[in-house]
Amino acid sequence: MPKLSILVIEDDPLARKVMEKQLGKHTVDFAADKASAKTKLETGHHDLCFIDLELGDGEETSGLELIPLAVSQGTYAVVMSGHDSEKFVERAYAMGCNDFYSKGNEEANVGRILDRFMGRREKSGQDLFTQRFVTEDPATRATITDALKYASSDLPIIILGPSGTGKTSLAKIIHDHSGRTGEFVAINCSAYTEDLLEAELFGYRKGAFTGAGDSRKGKLLAADQGTLFLDEIGSMSLKMQTKLLKAIEEKSFYPLGSDKSEKSQFRIISATLEDLQGLIKAGKLRFDFFQRIHGLTVQLAPLAQRQCDVFPLLSFFTRGGKRLNFTPSAKERLSRHAWPGNVRELKKFVDLLVAGHEGSVTPEAVARLLADAVASDGGGAFTSDEQYRFAMKNGLDAAVDRLTDEIVRRCLEENGGKKTKVLTDLKISTRLLYASLKRRPEMKR
Amino acid sequence: MTLDDLIHDVNSKCASLKDAAALLRGMPPAEAKGLLELMTNQALSLADAIEEYDEELDAR
Repeated sequence: MPKLSILVIEDDPLARKVMEKQLGKHTVDFAADKASAKTKLETGHHDLCFIDLELGDGEETSGLELIPLAVSQGTYAVVMSGHDSEKFVERAYAMGCNDFYSKGNEEANVGRILDRFMGRREKSGQDLFTQRFVTEDPATRATITDALKYASSDLPIIILGPSGTGKTSLAKIIHDHSGRTGEFVAINCSAYTEDLLEAELFGYRKGAFTGAGDSRKGKLLAADQGTLFLDEIGSMSLKMQTKLLKAIEEKSFYPLGSDKSEKSQFRIISATLEDLQGLIKAGKLRFDFFQRIHGLTVQLAPLAQRQCDVFPLLSFFTRGGKRLNFTPSAKERLSRHAWPGNVRELKKFVDLLVAGHEGSVTPEAVARLLADAVASDGGGAFTSDEQYRFAMKNGLDAAVDRLTDEIVRRCLEENGGKKTKVLTDLKISTRLLYASLKRRPEMKR
Repeated sequence: MTLDDLIHDVNSKCASLKDAAALLRGMPPAEAKGLLELMTNQALSLADAIEEYDEELDAR
């Protein structure tokens, strides 16, 4: 077992001595009262923290007050108690503690706690990049690992990245690591009109508007003690941003048609594929709203920038199903693909492969199915984030030329430089082809 | 002192006394002396808690 950093918060000197002996192999720090415990929790990073339920200050269950602070610091919080009443166990877990035990036989208790902690840590580390967010890319792994350090805090998080890169998956993983007892509630802001979005977020009372036959709880309330994930935040209207800003600040809001406010302790994670600074400059995103939803920024790279993930993702998506064998040239063809729809496109590609009859996958099959995957991906992003930024910077004409040149180049390559084949496949005029070749002379043969 | 407080004190203090006693086995004498002093204080505070509850019962 690795050497852990452990804080023991215990007022009883004999119990502290016992814990010191039981935890001898680790780095152990002690706090005998609430004030010093708070200081040590705030300033040091501890893997685990053992908290005595009663700290001898005359207040019943005073140790419980330290649980939220410990959890917010990413510390595994364990409550030790001379009481084993259900009432105390329930309260401790409601406040976010990770483990609870009744005092007596500390050797066995501490051993079990450390085993559980290590088991959880290993499981979470192992599953994370092989099951939950499949990636072998060192930079992406580092980005996610860093983001998870803030999972248990209340800091708002913005996840940036092109469509299909796993923003929602990452938001859910952060929620699952947060220790928050409430639900993960996701809403795609671009899927609703302003009025509908307001009703979805805030909820409404019966008769609040035409068609409101029954009262309905909104997403803000559903995310109480949990996480509210706002996808496509850039598409939210300024009026809606103002209303949400107030709800975020006050942690309370009025459902439509109600004169009674509701309270909700939710944590905000938002995502967008747009350039936030550009949205602010363009007056589409209120700066004060941005400040409320912006704490930590996580940037996910497109799949094209982490080609090492293509085959691990292919294996993951076909796991337990049809076994596929890619010929070397099919692999080469796949590694050249830009994956404009990112992981979502790759998943669709796998679905098409699995649904087909081919077990051995040829480059021709890859080319055909990739085209189908892009064509059938009506909701996906045909335009990558990088293309979008290029267009914003250089104008749409330049971006279209660039896209045309890229497609012409690839088509030429795939057809051994035969221009007639390119004209037929791309259904373009000779004039367009030569205009493209003129812009990119290196393509001429 | 309520009965709940007394039960909590007895449970906690006896638990650490029991664990501390087990630690005495094989402990160097100088360290054992220090631990025995802590155990004595613990036992005395336990006796105090019992006496306090007893006095409260008398006062009722």
